[in-house]
Amino acid sequence: MNNIFVAIGEHLLLAYSALFVAIGLAIPLAVISLYNRYLASTLLLLANLAQAIPSFAVVAIVVPLLGIGFKPAIFAIILRIILPLFKNTYIGLKNIDYTYLDSAKGIGLNEREILLYVRFPNAYPAIFAGVKFAAVIANSVAIITSLIGAGGLGEFIYEGLSNLNMTKVLKGAIPAIIIAVLLDIGFTFIENKFTLER
Amino acid sequence: MILYVWKTQQLGIKTFEHLYMVFITLIIVIVIGISIGIFIYKKQNLSNIILNFLNVIETVPELALLVILIPLFGIGIKPTLVASVLYSILPIARNTYVGLTNVDFQYIEIARAIGLSDKEILWKVRIPLALPLLAAGIRIAIVFTMGVVTLGGLIAAGGLGGPIQTGIHLYDKNIILVTGLWIGILAVLLDSIGNFFETLLRKRYGQ
Repeated sequence: MNNIFVAIGEHLLLAYSALFVAIGLAIPLAVISLYNRYLASTLLLLANLAQAIPSFAVVAIVVPLLGIGFKPAIFAIILRIILPLFKNTYIGLKNIDYTYLDSAKGIGLNEREILLYVRFPNAYPAIFAGVKFAAVIANSVAIITSLIGAGGLGEFIYEGLSNLNMTKVLKGAIPAIIIAVLLDIGFTFIENKFTLER
Repeated sequence: MILYVWKTQQLGIKTFEHLYMVFITLIIVIVIGISIGIFIYKKQNLSNIILNFLNVIETVPELALLVILIPLFGIGIKPTLVASVLYSILPIARNTYVGLTNVDFQYIEIARAIGLSDKEILWKVRIPLALPLLAAGIRIAIVFTMGVVTLGGLIAAGGLGGPIQTGIHLYDKNIILVTGLWIGILAVLLDSIGNFFETLLRKRYGQ
C-alpha cells in the first residue's frame, strides 16, 4: 500500500461510517432514555466512566471480541464515541425550559409533537457540539485502529515506525493532522452559521 | 490467566512506569497551564488567539502528534511527555482563565470596598474561587494524559501500551484483554480520585 490518496479515502471511510452509525444509534437511544429514567441514569453513569478510558485500550479490548480488520475497527470507533454522543443529545433534549413544555402542552401538542417541534429544535446546539466532539475523536481513533489491520493513514505510521522510516511516518501523520484541522475549521464554520440563525 | 499475564508481561513495573509518566506530565502541565491561564487573564486581548491555538492542538489525532515529535525528540519517554503536556494544557489553561474571569461581581466589589489591591484580589479572591474549575480542568488533563501515555507504548516509552502492542502482534487474546481492562480500570480509578477532589473543592468554595 503506497498510495496516500487511497489511505486518506480509507481513513475517511472508516471514521465517518462509524460516526454516522453512532449518531444513528445514539439519537434513538437518547429519545428512549427521555421516557425511561432507569436507562437514562445507567447510560449517563457509563458515559461518565467510559470517557476516562484511553482510546487505545478500547481498540485493544475489541480485538479478543471481534478479531482484527475493518469491521472490528469500525466497532471500536463506535464504542468510543457513542456514549459522548448519547450524553450530549440526552442532555440537550432533557434540559429544556419548563415554560416551553408547558406552553406546548397548553396549545395541545402531544408527546410526539413536543419531541419533534419543541425538544429537538432546542437541542440542536448541544447535539451539534456532541457531533463535533465525536468527529474529532473518530478521526483520532481511526489512526490507532490501523494497528488492528483497518488500513488507512495509520498504516503509514506503523510501517514507518517499525522500520524507522520517518518519511513514511510523516506521510501518514501530516495528512491526518491536516484533516483534523480542516475538520475543526469546517465544524466551527457550520456552528457559527447555526447560532447566527437562531 | 490474569496472574500469568501479569507476571510474563511485568504489568506491575509497567503500571509503575505508566503512572510515573502521568505524574510527571501532570506536574509540568499544571505549572504551564495555570501560568498561561493567569497570563491570558491579565492580557485578555490575547486570550482568544491562545485558546484557539490550543484548541487546534486538541483536534490533532493523538498518535499523529506523538510521531510528529519523533524527529525533534527521538523515541521513548521524551516525545510522549511532550505530547501529553501539549494535549493537556488547554483544559487547565481554559478552566483557570474561565474561573478567574467568571467570579461574581459582588465579591470583587466587596474586596475593593475593604481596600484590597488588584493583586490581592487576584490571589485572595479570584484564585480561591477558581479552584473548583481548575480541579475540573486537571481532571480532564488526567484523562488526556492517560490516553497519550498509553499510546506512548508504541514509540517505546514503556508503560502499559507496550503489552497491548505485544498482545496485538502475537494475537494473544489473554494479554490484550487483561492489559486492556487493567488500563480501563486504572483510568476510571484515577478519574474518580480527581472527581473526589473536585467535589471537595466545590463544597469548600461553592460556586
